[in-house]
Amino acid sequence: MEQQYALDVTFAALAHPTRRAIVARLAKGEATVMELAKPFAISQPAISKHLKVLEEAGLVTRGREGAARPCRLEPRRLGEAMKWMERFRRHWEESFDRLDVLLVEMKEKEKEKRRGRKE
Amino acid sequence: MAEKNELRMTRVFDAPKRLVWEAWSKAEYVQRWFTPAPLTTPKCELEFRNGGRFYLVMNMNGVDLPMDGRFEEIVPEEKIVFTATIHGGVDVRTTVTFSENAGKTTLAVHQTYSKETEATRGAHAGWTSTLDQLDAFTKSRK
Repeated sequence: MEQQYALDVTFAALAHPTRRAIVARLAKGEATVMELAKPFAISQPAISKHLKVLEEAGLVTRGREGAARPCRLEPRRLGEAMKWMERFRRHWEESFDRLDVLLVEMKEKEKEKRRGRKE
Repeated sequence: MAEKNELRMTRVFDAPKRLVWEAWSKAEYVQRWFTPAPLTTPKCELEFRNGGRFYLVMNMNGVDLPMDGRFEEIVPEEKIVFTATIHGGVDVRTTVTFSENAGKTTLAVHQTYSKETEATRGAHAGWTSTLDQLDAFTKSRK
């Protein structure tokens, strides 16, 4: 039950494009609020608000060192959220990879048949 | 924004719609591609018509996992809608649409889940790309 709640909070936090962009940026390495705000057309306080949501969801932590307090990603919570998504997405992707292979074979067979008819 | 309990994805196949449709509509083909690895499909029976049943037996490490479903709607070379119950009580409804352009076929999959579980909660296509980007990150931190 507790884990389900954690997943709810995680996905609510990720259900905003700006917050997803912040998470994607932090995946490359830690950054200060100022650095995070740069690529967005919104103010630092607005970014801070989004960061707060991510922090409360346990996706992001802030450093204690210095005034800049760099933000970094917390991989554990994210890993849990990814696990379920993986199951359904992977199912289709893996199946479609095999469908790709099968279709190549079906196309070949069709070509052979056509060749056979001509001869 | 997508609804909470759904999954959407599309994929382009380098084959005409006619062949992709055949791969969906004949048991001998479905058996070969539908089940995700490492599962195998020792049995596959399809009544490929409106209201027809389908029955799949998947096998994982010697354990049989049967899947029983129904074709709700079939529009030749256009659309397949099927329902099935998975993971002990989640009703899954899947709509697959087929469209062809310049000899290539686009499949669009739309899946909805009638009972919310941990596994289906918030299935949201918008997260997919973000999660993709993060995949390497979480792996490197494990």
